[in-house]
Amino acid sequence: MRGLLALGCIALLSGCASSNATRDPSDPWEGVNRPFYNFNDAIDRNFFTPIAKGYVKVTPQPVRSGVTKFFDNVSYLNVIANDLLQGKLGDFASDTGRFVVNSTVGVGGLFDPATGLGMPAHDEDLGQTIGKWGAGEGRYMVLPLMGPNSLRDLPNIGSAMALNPLTYLNPVVTIPLGAINAINARANLLEASNIRDQAALDPYTFVREAYRQQREFKIYDGNPPTDDIDDYIDQDEAESAADDAAVLKVY
Amino acid sequence: MNQPCPLPRPRVGAHLLTLFCCCLFARAALAADGPTAVVEKLHGTLLTMMKDAATLGREGRVQTVAPVLERTFDFQTIGRVVTGRHWKGFAADTRERFVTTFAGLSAATYADNFDGYAGEIFTTLSEEVKKNAALVKTQIVKSDGKAVSLNYVLNQRDGKWRIVNVIADGVSDLALKRSEYGAVIAKEGIDALIAKLNAKIASYAAART
Repeated sequence: MRGLLALGCIALLSGCASSNATRDPSDPWEGVNRPFYNFNDAIDRNFFTPIAKGYVKVTPQPVRSGVTKFFDNVSYLNVIANDLLQGKLGDFASDTGRFVVNSTVGVGGLFDPATGLGMPAHDEDLGQTIGKWGAGEGRYMVLPLMGPNSLRDLPNIGSAMALNPLTYLNPVVTIPLGAINAINARANLLEASNIRDQAALDPYTFVREAYRQQREFKIYDGNPPTDDIDDYIDQDEAESAADDAAVLKVY
Repeated sequence: MNQPCPLPRPRVGAHLLTLFCCCLFARAALAADGPTAVVEKLHGTLLTMMKDAATLGREGRVQTVAPVLERTFDFQTIGRVVTGRHWKGFAADTRERFVTTFAGLSAATYADNFDGYAGEIFTTLSEEVKKNAALVKTQIVKSDGKAVSLNYVLNQRDGKWRIVNVIADGVSDLALKRSEYGAVIAKEGIDALIAKLNAKIASYAAART
């Protein structure tokens, strides 16, 4: 099975190796990324999307909301660790309290009493921490089955796994739970993928740019610097690379 | 704006002059909304469109939103930014064709995405003005309490504030389109891009009525 999968990848890769699409200098691995994107997309359309739609049909909204909260909570130690790594001591205290309250009073994370108690959810991960420390995005990459990523965000896969208690349970438990998580997570993205399907001229580029910008936004916790909001507007004609950079930084 | 003007009593001429000035100010204020007012005008229209979605129908929603977009968005600047370095080489009529198509696509997209109402609330959070640019931060709060951040960059041209970019949850519409459009123009040219955008508009119209 795994061998077949790998063979499929290679076939896709060689199939596209000769394509002479105009390359974006900011995405030097596009030649590999694009086939992986297409591969993921095919699996998504033929497998995950139909299952996710079926799941939405048969489960009531409160159940799905509980499932989402459970998996958010069980992966929350990664958020707490990265609060600390970024020196956000206030968030660290509040997020630790949140995890304790939701794991206990919130019945193993199925409910979220912590938000009402003044401990709102935060969104942190190792990629954001590395970004906060000043590292650039690194190369953009599309991972088979996992989707968009970058050199900067790659280490988070490891930290998220290491800090998730489910990792240390018996596979008899973790495999079905992992499957539920994947389906539920895909169901939560149905609206987003609809927007992509409607709006994108080139879905690969669309997803790449959306991924990059959203990561940047998250590094700044939703408040990117606004010093250069007026940079591009004063110019009558767009001409320079500097102008390009200004626009892409506009928030 | 509606406060009574302090009128000097003795001279009728000065009296009239002040009154005249007040009228001028009032007119100026009416003619040129500030950045927040422009964004809220758009949000007001979107809200109406969402609430009356069924009775308006898709075409009705396009008709409702299109003229408001014309007044609240600076499509000329958007067209320039979104086509990047290619804009310079376009003839005037190509520019106009592109800008018109782009405006049409925006209306079709809004009509398609705001097609129902489930208790959403638009809230303006802050306004930041820097010379001729402004950033207005807002959010849509859904009925389940989840908020999506919606930030607007505005540009002041000819004394009018108009929107040039919408950043939804950190994703800049302008930057996204610039990447996609740049690739299409470089590979297939501006006419192919306009054709693709027109095809998008048609597919929106076909998908729902």
